[in-house]
Amino acid sequence: MRIMKNRSNIILSLMLIVLVSSLALGQGGGMPAGQQPQTTKGAVIKGKAPVNKEVLKVKLPRAQEATLKNGLQVVLLEAHKVPTFNMQMVVLSGGLADKADYRGLASFTASLLREGTAKRSSKDLAEQVDALGATLTANAGLSSLTSTVAASGLVENLDQTLELFADVIRKPAFPQAEVEKYKTRTLAQLQFQRSIPQFLAAEQFQRAIYGSGHPASLIAPPADSIKKLTSKDLADFHATNYRPNNAILAIVGDVTMKDIMPKLEKAFGDWQRGDVPTVSIPPAPAQTDSRIYLIDRPGSVQTVLQLGTLGIERTSPDYFAVLLADRVLGGGPSGRLFLNLREDKGYTYGAYSNFGGSKFRGTWISSSEVRTDVTEGAMKEFMYELNRLRNETVPAEELDNAKRAIIGSFALSLEQPATLLQNIITQKLYNLPADYWDTYPQHVAAITPADVQRVAQKYIDLGHLQVVAVGDASKARDILAKYGKVELYDAEGKPLPIN
Amino acid sequence: MRRVSKFLSPLFVCALAVLSAQAQGPRNVRVDLKETTLKNGLRVITVEDHSAPVVAISITYNVGSRNERQGRTGFAHLFEHMMFKGSENVGSGEHFMLVFNNGGNMNGTTNEDRTNYFEVLPANQLDLVLFLESDRMKSLAITKDNLDNQRNAVQEERRLGVDNQPYGKSGELQQELIYDNFAYKHSVIGSMDDLNAATVEDVSGFFKMYYAPNNAVLTLVGDFKTAEALAKIRNSFESIPRQPDPPPVDMTEPQQKAERRLTVDDVLARAPRVDLAYKAVPGNTADFYALQVLAAVLQGGQSSRLYQKLVKEKEMVTNVGGFMDEKRGVGAFYTNATLRPNVKTQDIEAVIYEEIDRLKKEPIADWELQKAKNTTRRNIVNSLQSSISRVITIGQYAVYYNDPNLINTRLDKVAAVTKEDVQRVANKYLVDTNRTVVITMPKAKAKTAAGTGQ
Repeated sequence: MRIMKNRSNIILSLMLIVLVSSLALGQGGGMPAGQQPQTTKGAVIKGKAPVNKEVLKVKLPRAQEATLKNGLQVVLLEAHKVPTFNMQMVVLSGGLADKADYRGLASFTASLLREGTAKRSSKDLAEQVDALGATLTANAGLSSLTSTVAASGLVENLDQTLELFADVIRKPAFPQAEVEKYKTRTLAQLQFQRSIPQFLAAEQFQRAIYGSGHPASLIAPPADSIKKLTSKDLADFHATNYRPNNAILAIVGDVTMKDIMPKLEKAFGDWQRGDVPTVSIPPAPAQTDSRIYLIDRPGSVQTVLQLGTLGIERTSPDYFAVLLADRVLGGGPSGRLFLNLREDKGYTYGAYSNFGGSKFRGTWISSSEVRTDVTEGAMKEFMYELNRLRNETVPAEELDNAKRAIIGSFALSLEQPATLLQNIITQKLYNLPADYWDTYPQHVAAITPADVQRVAQKYIDLGHLQVVAVGDASKARDILAKYGKVELYDAEGKPLPIN
Repeated sequence: MRRVSKFLSPLFVCALAVLSAQAQGPRNVRVDLKETTLKNGLRVITVEDHSAPVVAISITYNVGSRNERQGRTGFAHLFEHMMFKGSENVGSGEHFMLVFNNGGNMNGTTNEDRTNYFEVLPANQLDLVLFLESDRMKSLAITKDNLDNQRNAVQEERRLGVDNQPYGKSGELQQELIYDNFAYKHSVIGSMDDLNAATVEDVSGFFKMYYAPNNAVLTLVGDFKTAEALAKIRNSFESIPRQPDPPPVDMTEPQQKAERRLTVDDVLARAPRVDLAYKAVPGNTADFYALQVLAAVLQGGQSSRLYQKLVKEKEMVTNVGGFMDEKRGVGAFYTNATLRPNVKTQDIEAVIYEEIDRLKKEPIADWELQKAKNTTRRNIVNSLQSSISRVITIGQYAVYYNDPNLINTRLDKVAAVTKEDVQRVANKYLVDTNRTVVITMPKAKAKTAAGTGQ
C-alpha cells in the first residue's frame, strides 16, 4: 500500500472506464449528441463544441489459435508496436473449486507457485525474474472461475522468461518453510486490510448479498483456512487442477505464431493431461429483505457508502441493457451519480456504479465516500437516482450518449492489447459466440429506453436493497435509521449493541 | 466554432535529433517528435502515428504547488478543478460529457512541478479536443458557486486520500519536515484552512498569470496529418494573448545538517510504520539515475535486498518499498515499511541502515544492475504503447527539463549507470544527516458513542 503522494487528479483514475473491443458498428447515421443548450443536474450543456457525429468504425485484430497435443489451447494476438509480450496461463479452476470448509485454497496455491520449484528456491525465482526485467505473478480469487499465472517482459528475454513461467506452472514445490512464512505474512496483511474503510465496506456488502455459504460472500481468505494450510494440500490442488487440458494459454505481444509454437511445444508439450473434476457453480442465495449495515470505524471523517442488489450472470440476456443502465447511472464522470453528488452537491470526490457477473449472479452496486455530515444528503440523492432510473424512462439523448461512449471507446482499445486479449479470454470462459466482440456494438445500439427501465426495475429491487456504511457510527447511526433498521458492527465484523 | 486566424502562422519547425541507430541487440522504439512554437509562445509538439485510430492531447502548464504562496496551499490543484467548470463555449461539467460520451477518456493532474490536462478520443474528434482545450485557455468562466462546489470536491478528495486513510497524514507531515524551502514544504492537496481561504479573485489572478499560452506545452499524438493538425492548432490557439512571464520560483534548498525525526499518532492505523527519506537531487541528472538503480536494488520487487531481508528472512514487516522521487527541484529517496506485530521500529531502522551501509561498502551484483536496467527498459518501452501515456510524458519532459526528446534518450541515461555510480551516490546522499524519519504509531481509538450507548 502506497500512500497517496504528491499528486492529485480531477477524477480518480486515468483509465477508469476502459470498455472494450470490437468493430464495425452497423448502424447508419450515428447517434446525435445534444446540440440544444440544456441543463442536466450537475452539468450545463451549451452544445457549441464541434462533435463529429460519426462513431468511428474500428477493425479488431484477429487472434490466432492452436492446440497442443495434450489439449492446451493457445491463443495469440500479435502486437508489434513495442518489443514486449504478455502471457497468461488461465487455469480453468479457481476459487469456485475450493471445498466449502477450505475457502482460499486456490488462492493460496496460486500465491505459492513463486515460492519454489523442483529446481529453484523462492529467492532464485525472484532474482531470475527480476534480472530479466520481467514480471511473474499468479492469483486466484475466492470465488473466481480461474487461476491465472501471468508473465510479461521484453521480447529479447522471451525464452528465459518462458522457461521460468513454465517452471512455476508445472513444477512448484510448495516448500513447507515457505508455506509457514506465507501463513504468517498473510495473516498480518489481513490485519492491515482492516484499517482500510473500502475493504470493510466491500467485505460486509458481499456478505449481505451472498450470505455465509457462497464463495462470493468472502473477499479475503478466512483465517481458519490460512492456519490449517499445508504443503500437501497445495500440491494436491495443483496436481488436480493445473493440467494442460484444463487451461488456456493467452499471449499478446511482439511475437509470431511461427516463432512461438516451437517454444511452447518445448515448454509445455510434455505436460501431462489429467482428469479434472467438474465444478458445480453455486447459485446466489435468495435475497433477504433490505437491510442496513453500519460498521463503526472510530476516527473516520467520511462515510463510505455502498448500496446495491444482486445483479446478473455474465451470459444473461439482460447484459447489454444492464451495461447501458449502469453507464447512465454511474459509469464515470458523465454518469448521473457523479454529476449529482459531486458536480451539483459537492458531497464527494466521486460517485459511481458498477456491475459484474460470473457464472453465478454478480452484484450491481452504487458507491461513494462522503464527509460524515452529508451522509444524510448523500443517502437521499442515491435513493433519488435509483428511483429515477426505475420510475422514469431514460431520455433518448442520454441513452444515445451512453451508447456512443461504449461504442466509441472501442477505438481506444486498439492501443491496449492486454485489454483485447482479456476480451478474448472472457469470450472463451463464458462460451460466448465467436463473433461476440464483433457484434457487441450492434447489441449496444439495439438497447431502448424501455429496456433500461425494465432492467432497472428488475434488478434494482429496492425491497432487497442492501446498504453498507463505514464510518463514525455515533454520527451516522441516526441518519441511516431513517431508511430502516440499522445493524451495527465493529471493524472485526462483530455485532455491536445498537443503543 | 472555427476561428479565423489573425496572424501569419508559420514559425520555426524542427524535427528533433534522431537517435543514433542501434547496430545490434534489442529493438528500440523511436518517437518521432516535431516541434513548433506559435507566435504567442505556445510550444507545440506533435507525433504523427497511424497505428490506431485515436488522437491524444495534453496541455502541460508550467505551474504546480511549488508556485503557491503561504496561506494558499492546495490552490494549484483546486484551480485545476475549476478548469472543468466551464468556459465561454463549454458549460460546467460539459467537458466530461463531451469526452466520455464520445468514447474518450481524460483527466487533469497536479503535482509540485506542473499541471496537466489530457484527453484521448477516437481520431475523428480532433476538432473537439482542440476546441475544449483552447476554449478554456482563452476564456475560463469563474464563479463563486463553482468555486465552492469544487472546494467541496477537493476537500473530499483530501479526506478520501489523506484524512480517512491509515498513514494518510504521515506522508504530508514528512514532506513538510524534509524541505526548508516553502515551494516543496507543503502537500499538493493543501490544508483544509487554506482551501477554505481561496477566493474567486485568487482564481482569476492565477488564471491570468499561469494559464497563458507562453506558459504551456501542447502535445498531440495520434492518427492525424501533421500539417493539417498544426493548421488547426494555430486556428484554435494562436490568437490567445501572451502574458508576461510568471515570476520564477526560487527552488534553492539549503543543505540539511542533521537528521530530522517525527512521531505521528494515527487512530486509523493498526500497525506501526516507518517512513524514511534522504534529501537527494533533481530529476534527469546522472546522480538521479544512479539513485533510481539503487532504489531497484534496495527495494524494488521481491528480489530486492529489503524484501528478502525484512519480509522473507526476518519476517519483521508486512511490506517494504520505496522509490527515488523525480522532481524538477531537489527530490528525495524514500523507503517505507509497515511492521508486523511485536516488532520495534528501531529494529526495522537498524536493518535498513545496515543494508544501506552495505551499498556504500560493496559494489552491487551484476544481476542487480541488469535488473534495474531491464526493468526500466520494459517500463519505458511499454509506456510508448498508448498515445495518452506519450502525450503525458512528452509534455512533462518539455516543462520539467526543456527536453521533450528525453522520451527517446532516457533509456541511454539509465544504461550509462555503473556499479561505481551506485556506490558513489549511496555514500553521497544516503547519509544520516540527510535523513528525515517519520514513525507512525497506532493510537488507541477513543470510544465512540456507538459502542457505549451514548
